[in-house]
Amino acid sequence: MGRGLTTGRRSVQDARALRKTFAGGLALDGVDLRIGAGEIHALLGENGSGKSTLIKIVSGYHRPDPGSVVDLGGECLHFGDPASSARLGARFVHQDLGLVETSSILDNLAVVVGFPTRFGTIRRGAARELTRSALRRVELELDPDVLISALSPAQKTGVAVARALLPVDGREARLLVLDEPTARLPEQEVARLLSLVRAVAANGVGVLYVTHRLDEVFDVAETASVLRDGRKVFEGPVASLSRESLLGHLFGSAIEKVNRHDASVSGDVVLDVRSVGSEYLANVSFTVRQGEVVGVAGITGSGRDALCATLFGARPRDTGEVRVGGHVLRAGRPSAAMERGVAFVPAERKIQGAFLGLTARENISIGDLPRFWRLPFLRRKAETAAVAGWFERFDIRPGFGTDRLVSTFSGGNQQKIVFGKWFQRGPAVFLLDEPTQGVDVGAKGELHRCLADAAVNGAAVLMSSSDTDELTTACSRVIVLRNGAVVADLSGDAITPREIARAALGIGLDTGLDIGFGDPTHQPFAHESRTSAQ
Amino acid sequence: MKRFPRSLGFEKYSGVYLWAAFIAVFSVLSPNLFASMVTVHSVAAGKAVSAILALAIVVPLVCGVYDLSVGANINFTTIVVVKAVAGGLSVPLAIVLGLAVGAGIGVVNGFIVVKLKVNSFITTLGTASIIAALQVIVTDNRQPLPPSLPAWRSLTQTKVFGFQIIVVYLLLIAVVLWWALTHTPFGRYLYAIGGSPEAAKLSGVNVDMYTWLSLIVSGALCGLAGVFYGSIAGPSLSFGASLLLPAFAAVFLGSTQITPGRFNVWGSVLAIYVLATGVKGLQLLTDVQWLDPMFSGVALVAAVAIANGRQRSGEERRRRRRSAERIEPASPVGPTG
Repeated sequence: MGRGLTTGRRSVQDARALRKTFAGGLALDGVDLRIGAGEIHALLGENGSGKSTLIKIVSGYHRPDPGSVVDLGGECLHFGDPASSARLGARFVHQDLGLVETSSILDNLAVVVGFPTRFGTIRRGAARELTRSALRRVELELDPDVLISALSPAQKTGVAVARALLPVDGREARLLVLDEPTARLPEQEVARLLSLVRAVAANGVGVLYVTHRLDEVFDVAETASVLRDGRKVFEGPVASLSRESLLGHLFGSAIEKVNRHDASVSGDVVLDVRSVGSEYLANVSFTVRQGEVVGVAGITGSGRDALCATLFGARPRDTGEVRVGGHVLRAGRPSAAMERGVAFVPAERKIQGAFLGLTARENISIGDLPRFWRLPFLRRKAETAAVAGWFERFDIRPGFGTDRLVSTFSGGNQQKIVFGKWFQRGPAVFLLDEPTQGVDVGAKGELHRCLADAAVNGAAVLMSSSDTDELTTACSRVIVLRNGAVVADLSGDAITPREIARAALGIGLDTGLDIGFGDPTHQPFAHESRTSAQ
Repeated sequence: MKRFPRSLGFEKYSGVYLWAAFIAVFSVLSPNLFASMVTVHSVAAGKAVSAILALAIVVPLVCGVYDLSVGANINFTTIVVVKAVAGGLSVPLAIVLGLAVGAGIGVVNGFIVVKLKVNSFITTLGTASIIAALQVIVTDNRQPLPPSLPAWRSLTQTKVFGFQIIVVYLLLIAVVLWWALTHTPFGRYLYAIGGSPEAAKLSGVNVDMYTWLSLIVSGALCGLAGVFYGSIAGPSLSFGASLLLPAFAAVFLGSTQITPGRFNVWGSVLAIYVLATGVKGLQLLTDVQWLDPMFSGVALVAAVAIANGRQRSGEERRRRRRSAERIEPASPVGPTG
């Protein structure tokens, strides 16, 4: 193991001086990344560090700035051309595997390479043999006719990998990029996936392994690269790393932005969560007091993205109790939660949050229509006045657009409209899931201010976010989930990206903290990957 | 391409312009037959049942649910009510019976859609067939005789300013539905459910109840339309099926009018009469029999194509505007804060 091993090998990917500028700023700043044949190379970095931009350049989706070069197995990649990337042997398996659940393994593979046919009829036997040999490359012994929906999560990922490794235009796969392949896998399935990854590498394919889980890095990777703020801050053999030093690379120096919130809030407990359990949560208990803005952190698959919806009743809750102001909420009943003054802003704004085909006015008043209803009519004037009030308070633009369809507003303004719907009801508890996802920087600050105001006025705010920067700036307390359970409850000065990551990744507190790393930076591009995707 | 000025409301009221054009052209081409009050009265009354049926399907469509059983429903209630009236039932009770039978079918449809979670398209396709079978059981495939009771015929055929009174009923139903859909929380909830059932549920709307209710309203309106049909035209074993597609055509065409992009009451009524005027005029001129289904079919497909096209061009306009905004301020925001 070690550097000598990888440099001695033929390279399958050699990226040099990758730079990419988005409207919001610099996403990648001169990154080199070389991967050898048969090497498993872990790529680490917080959200917004430039990982996804890098992958999207290699896959031919993004065009980097002039001067960047990506050499795939000796040939230069045509930027912005996904076909060129595939031809040169680069293959990608994303978190969303892209398999058709209701089709067989064989059919899923054949979609890519085509069926072997004779006189236009599919040669079933030959197709099965092809499928079996493709599966064997990833050490899977499965019947090609089994439906994808019948497979375990790790097997599904395996099939996706097998499919990715199929030759394109007669060119074999040389580089496999796995983007957080274990994020949605249950713990016991992870080991099976890792052995599959080793098998792929043993066949001489270079693997770029993107993950948030440090255990896997030490388990499977030979080499690791760490990105921070668009720069590569570390590259080297995993054997030379400790968890603590890896954390240092991920987050930089121990000097952090000071949390501006007063941790000594002493209002009444409004939200009381006791031993809540579900498919995604294990015995979660915590309380939120009046005036508190509590953040929820955790990596994908930690239960973070399920917590708010479960408390609100939008997802099933199997055990435990949720109390709001002393009243027990019935599980699975959003309307019951609303009656107790709970507001819920879901992450999927376009499907669950807003009614894109209705006007802003209708969106805001929908949660509080009885207020405007005096037989025989909804009082249009009162309604418009109330909505105009929220437009002004949240600075929703265009300000005269109360009767425009929500789909015509920008993402940030759409989210403000969703906020307006809930603020209109004057809730006692706010549950927010990724409240500023897909929102520009200015609107993000404004939304945070709205929540802080609500807290000052006596509401309890619980907000889950994958954006650590958001949690550190907007929250007075942060609880961290891992494998469905609360593993940390941070407040005051303890709310730093580093502490959050330490808890979310499961790194013990016994190791020393006081190692200095690099210069004090945080993440000015925390939203790079999201805003660019819009 | 030059856009029509919005003040003329071409997007919203193109149907009205088309209607005016039809009337003008046919009045010139057929001054004696077409341009007469007799024609006006006969078109108005002749399409009233179709219009009520169209309004019946507007309600569930607003919340994203199809009711394909309206044709079978209206046919069945007509037969049941006519038989009951012939057997001595009074006219007011006949109306109640029609409403009850129609609403009952709506209750069953709603149960299957809401409780058994079967797609509404499939549900009502199935119940339509079941209702047709029930009709055979009830009638033994023999057409019942029209009731001789004078009050039965005068229920719809009393003259009001030269129009048969069924036209007034249609207007009343339209006003009530317009009010319910646009000026009450009920209507707002239906439109919200149609916009996104998930978002509606998360906004506290009782999605199941309102969906169910919309199917009951639709069924009850069919029942009422069935009573009217029995009174104005007499019983028939097979008229229902031929009313289904024109009703859908009118509703979809209507959704491009008045409040474009939404299923709405006045657009649907307008569409029924624009199409009827065109068909009537051409029929008087040419005497061919295939105009009605031809118009309905073309209208249905064209309406959906127009609606989709508008949506796409709207999205494209917004995309261009955003892209222009992005380019203009030349905004590489530096890595501050």
